[in-house]
Amino acid sequence: MTLKDKRHQEITNKIRNIMKDVGNDILVKGIMPSLEIPKVGYDNTVWSDEKRMLTIGEKTVQIGPNSSKKIPTFAQYLVMANAIRKLLDEEMESTIRGMYYATLSTVGDEKNQQKFWSGQDDSDDAIKAIELLTNVPREEFAVTSKPKGMISGPITLSVGGDLIDCNLGSKATSQLIPTNIRDLEIVKVKADFVMVVEKDTVLNNIRKSGFIQKYNAILLTGSGEPDRATRMMVKMLNEKWKKPVVIFADADPWGLGIALRYKIGSESLSYDSDRLVTPNAMVLGMMFSDIYEYNIPKVARLAATPEDMNRANDMKKKPWLQDKRWKKELDLFLGRKEKCELDAFFKYGFKYLADTYLPNKLREAGVI
Amino acid sequence: MTSKVTTEVLEKGTRQTKTILEIPQKHKSKINYNRKAESEFFVDNSALAGFTGERILYMSVRELIENSLDSCEINHILPVIHLSLKPLDPLNDLWTISCKDNGIGIPSEKVPVAVCSFLTSGKYVEKQQRGLFGVGLKMIAAFSTKDTDHPLKVWSKSEEESEFYFDLRTDIGTNKPITLFKKNVKNNESQIEGNSGFKVQAILRAKLSPVTKNKIYDYISQTSIVNPYAIIVFETDEGKVTFKRRTDTMPYPSLEVLPHPSDMDLKTLKKAILNFMNQKTTLQGILSNSFQKMSNDKAKDIVNRAGLAAKPADQYDEHELIKVVNICKHTKFQSPNTDHLSPIGEKILTVGMTSEYSIIQNKVTTNSGSQTQLTAKILKPALTAYSSRICVVNNRPTIVECGIAYGGDIPSFKLYRFANKIPLLYDEGSDVAREVISEVGINKMGISKKEVKEQFSNVETRSDRTVEYLPIHIFFHICSTKIPYKTAGKESIASEGDLKKYMKSCLSDLYRKVSAQIRRELKTKEDENKLRLYKHYIPFIVSAISESIKIDTKKLSNAFQIMAEKYVSGELSNITKQILPNSDQKKRIEPVNKKINLSNSNGNGIKLSKFDTRSNVSKQSNKTNSPKINISRKNTKK
Repeated sequence: MTLKDKRHQEITNKIRNIMKDVGNDILVKGIMPSLEIPKVGYDNTVWSDEKRMLTIGEKTVQIGPNSSKKIPTFAQYLVMANAIRKLLDEEMESTIRGMYYATLSTVGDEKNQQKFWSGQDDSDDAIKAIELLTNVPREEFAVTSKPKGMISGPITLSVGGDLIDCNLGSKATSQLIPTNIRDLEIVKVKADFVMVVEKDTVLNNIRKSGFIQKYNAILLTGSGEPDRATRMMVKMLNEKWKKPVVIFADADPWGLGIALRYKIGSESLSYDSDRLVTPNAMVLGMMFSDIYEYNIPKVARLAATPEDMNRANDMKKKPWLQDKRWKKELDLFLGRKEKCELDAFFKYGFKYLADTYLPNKLREAGVI
Repeated sequence: MTSKVTTEVLEKGTRQTKTILEIPQKHKSKINYNRKAESEFFVDNSALAGFTGERILYMSVRELIENSLDSCEINHILPVIHLSLKPLDPLNDLWTISCKDNGIGIPSEKVPVAVCSFLTSGKYVEKQQRGLFGVGLKMIAAFSTKDTDHPLKVWSKSEEESEFYFDLRTDIGTNKPITLFKKNVKNNESQIEGNSGFKVQAILRAKLSPVTKNKIYDYISQTSIVNPYAIIVFETDEGKVTFKRRTDTMPYPSLEVLPHPSDMDLKTLKKAILNFMNQKTTLQGILSNSFQKMSNDKAKDIVNRAGLAAKPADQYDEHELIKVVNICKHTKFQSPNTDHLSPIGEKILTVGMTSEYSIIQNKVTTNSGSQTQLTAKILKPALTAYSSRICVVNNRPTIVECGIAYGGDIPSFKLYRFANKIPLLYDEGSDVAREVISEVGINKMGISKKEVKEQFSNVETRSDRTVEYLPIHIFFHICSTKIPYKTAGKESIASEGDLKKYMKSCLSDLYRKVSAQIRRELKTKEDENKLRLYKHYIPFIVSAISESIKIDTKKLSNAFQIMAEKYVSGELSNITKQILPNSDQKKRIEPVNKKINLSNSNGNGIKLSKFDTRSNVSKQSNKTNSPKINISRKNTKK
């Protein structure tokens, strides 16, 4: 039995044990079965000083078939658990959307007919619940999402044995970061540091400028909100391959949020921070203060929307964002009510971002 | 004749001034002061009586039914009413409407005037009544005369006489009836079976839209709710519906009442004096005999305060009388009597609510194409309740009655409004009853918004008022000698004086009355819901388990089903509570056995001591919550 098969066995056993417990409760103990699942969200997110990241607290929720609302949820969780077991037993792989389709059905008689899932959000939640119940990340269930992260630079990956060299000479394209991370291995890393940017458009510009070759860097983006594979890739490069990680996002509350997702984690995935968060990553830009330090022309600045303001105010209240520097940056934003995208540097010429701004920031941080 | 003379004079005048002013003759005019007959006025201003284009047939139905009900109730006769509405000539929009009742009828010599002459009525007294006071039936006659060449056919039989038949039309220019034909009906041609009765048949030109048609159906159905002692047979070209008599109890008829002195004005006072003409009664005596709540002493006091000399009552002039009126306006009198009003009453309204008729239009497909057929459906609620308040609104005694019918066959929320036993169907949005329902919280029923919305999540309502999620019918009946209508259309009631306050207290009262029952109903519904959910979801759960592990599927399914039933019936509640403590309690109860399972950064190092799914929660040592993030910046490394 290979290591992978053993792990397979371990996970399916966990699922079988959940089923056993439920069956026992009903048949032997004669009590309502119930699943205890860690609570996910702000009120059960705790800052860990030791780990320097957001972690999940001790609050749990009970899901059992004991109320009109929970009967369907309980059934959904068990159906999803069984589907995951099947997927593993069949040694297949599926996206979260695939799992939704695989478990699709209708409930009830002709008079009261309903859909088993009211939408994919429901089945996504069920997958999350099984992750929490088994303490196994969903990638190990062979359940993935569509890849959207991109990587470029002197790094060689092995995906199920196929080697992929991401150091493409043409500077014309990047590699998608595979989401089936069970099959993914980093084979070789020749870069000096890793640079994460918020958006693929910015990554393309930087790549095209020859930045990778000039500074011997790996460029990486989550194309907005990073998926788990992207976050894990960043963490692995930093912790296993000891490469410094720097992050650049837009100077707006959303961009800052995305940058922090890599560095401290998120409330919705706080239970998985250990696999996803890179506490040593350095968030270098784009700071709100950069708008004024680099004197971004007025036309290239954007006015803050009410949602931006709300989000910034929310962030200010988070206990884990009480660091003086973030407070200062957020206060600056709340005061000036201006935001700015990294793309705004193009106003100074297409190469300004890659040739001037980024090297400046990297030098300040001592990365180059 | 007059007009011709005027023209000649004018012509002479213009001829003289023509050369100087050059005013064309036709621009000169002179106002003629003519008297318009009542009939002409009402035909020209038919909207005053509600007879506007679309609503002609609806108003006709209303007027005829209300006249018939009044005519029966006045002598405590259990009403039997036949109403028929059929198309006569669809190309020309001609309809035949007829209505027959077993009321007191009209004496034969009064029939033509009572049917055709506007503002002739037996209803000009201070009394709670239906009807538009001598306009309704006349309107039908006038419209029939105006729009068609058919006569109005009338059969009448009053107690003292045999049956008479008339062919009538209205002389709209003079407000006088034209009797085309009159005869004493022989027994074999008789239309009226009982001792007395009245039947009228008219041809009207009108359009009938589906909306108005539904309003007519609603009107008749709702009338039968508050008149369950009446038999109403309604016939159209689409079928015949019979609203059966569900009780023999009739409300006491309303009585004529003396006006309340707070409402006195010069006109009422002079009319009172006129009534006592030649009887040598003093002003004091007339006051105490003509107004309620006016004792002899009080009347004496008022005359004294007005400083009027003693003389025969008809010798006072208006300047003297107005003093009496003014003093009455400033004097406190006892509240007016209410015993002359005729509420529906708990017994009758409850009968109406527990056997609520509605007209259903069924589409029937026959050989000759699809056709609509009318049938009556009776809704039986699970529970009803009644409450009433007697109050005074704007010096008028007023009775507020409120009823609730809940559950059973009732599918959804509906508000019913009645004024003096007449259903109000239009302008619900601006009616005081709407405000009342919005302002009385359903928590008075002991149920919460959340509960209701959860239980009735499938109800489609545009409103966010919680009560409208419930399968509940709320009935309001206001009766008074003068209903505070909001508009001339008389379709909604204004929130005047304390009316709203009384309506609210009535509804609150009812909510409290039904609270226990509704809670029980909700619980039953919730239990049913739950059982249905179990029935539907247990197969999913059982198959998920049995596909994963070896287990006796049948046994598991049965055990689960039995447990679910026990749980719903409450037998299992304590056990579930035990296994479902909130997390804080749990911490206190079992502080040991907390395995710390940390996955390492590679994501595959999860070590579990045993596969107990309940304690597999990954828990970290979060001793400190002090927030701090170290962020590398320029000063960290330089």
